[in-house]
Amino acid sequence: MGRSGNIILFISFVITQITLSSLLDFGPLLFISVYPLFLLTRPANTSINSLLLWAFAMGMVVDYFTNSIMGINSAAALVMTLFQFRILRMVSRKGDFDSQVRPGLRELGLIRFVSYIVAALLIHHIVISLAESFGMAHFIYNLPRMLISLFVNTLIIMLIEFGVFYKNWR
Amino acid sequence: MWGKSPLIKFLTTLLLFLTLEVISLSFISNESVFQQAKISGLVIKLNSLTYGFTSGVKYYFGLQNVNDMLVEENLRLLKENEALKTRIPPQESLSAQPSISAEYSYIPARIISNSTNKMHNYIILNKGRTHGVKKDMGVISSVGVVGVVSAVSERYSYVISFLNINQSVSAKISTSGAFGPMIWEGRRSDYALLKEIPFHIDFMVGDTVVTSGFSTLFPPNVPLGTVRRSSVTKGSYHDIQVKLFQNFNSLHYVNIVVNNNKDELDFIQRGSNGSVR
Repeated sequence: MGRSGNIILFISFVITQITLSSLLDFGPLLFISVYPLFLLTRPANTSINSLLLWAFAMGMVVDYFTNSIMGINSAAALVMTLFQFRILRMVSRKGDFDSQVRPGLRELGLIRFVSYIVAALLIHHIVISLAESFGMAHFIYNLPRMLISLFVNTLIIMLIEFGVFYKNWR
Repeated sequence: MWGKSPLIKFLTTLLLFLTLEVISLSFISNESVFQQAKISGLVIKLNSLTYGFTSGVKYYFGLQNVNDMLVEENLRLLKENEALKTRIPPQESLSAQPSISAEYSYIPARIISNSTNKMHNYIILNKGRTHGVKKDMGVISSVGVVGVVSAVSERYSYVISFLNINQSVSAKISTSGAFGPMIWEGRRSDYALLKEIPFHIDFMVGDTVVTSGFSTLFPPNVPLGTVRRSSVTKGSYHDIQVKLFQNFNSLHYVNIVVNNNKDELDFIQRGSNGSVR
């Protein structure tokens, strides 16, 4: 996977994100974010600095095109990326990921992959909730919204991972 | 070696993270402050182009409901007109006093883009500066408050919806006249919260809540919703949950409120006390 491949994948995820978040509208209780899958499955030897830049770019582009508050997705994606390696190290066996392996469903196995995605998305969603209301005041109100979104987004991400990447990635 | 030391590496990462995070947060704070919600004409233009088509299609499918609503409103207005006619003698009808102009006039507009599924919802209307729309004008429909104009381009205007956690409307209970700010809590698009109603005020479930008219944005007595239930906060105030009449999901036509005396009112408020608004 060269640089052009990464950029194509990046654009595909942006388009998926825009399409899904404009198609699925169930009121204020649900926000769709599938782009974290792109960030979470960067090859394991990617440096954290370049990952942060990817996250920032992805967040900003998504914010711009989905009509949300500018900066909210990039803030969340950055925090998620910061914790990403730590979570990956927790769920994977030692020495599994020292090369260009993509930490996907095939490589991690179902249970490890799901826990990886849920943990990372939880951080992402908490930051979005905090940044949206700019403080803890609405946090309790936001809790159901966060949990519903977490469930739906995990489901969608698993479907994408299984349908698109599980078989084709060799 | 500079690049190899883990401490230096950690510090670079931290610095990069903090820089990018601060940029993101400054973007957010720039946008979420209510009065500063600035949007460039380009974004409005792009959005209206994208939504123009879909809103056209949705518009045709929604015509049935809109017609029903218009018929209902017509009927209500006719009844009101008849009731008023009986009250004033014919020689004192409206044309008899040409010198006093009405306090409020309205610019009808159509919604091009509308969102209800965020914490900060916005609406774009197809009327702009050329039609006489200005910043900080109120927007209402026949059954409630819709929002406040926040930015205007030549042919479009950008409205901060009432469904925005920063937005509030001065409202009162029609039976007792007690007033307080009504806000949206960000949970459901058909409920709002009327706050700071004093504890001793009596009201019943089902009482109508209307605008108070204590701002230059909205005319008084626009119906907003009905009282659904209430709770007491801090021992001295009612927090009243209001079921809104307005269904923001099927909203197509709105009226922009032009307050003909706004300049005069603003002038006299500035003259007496610089901070009153």
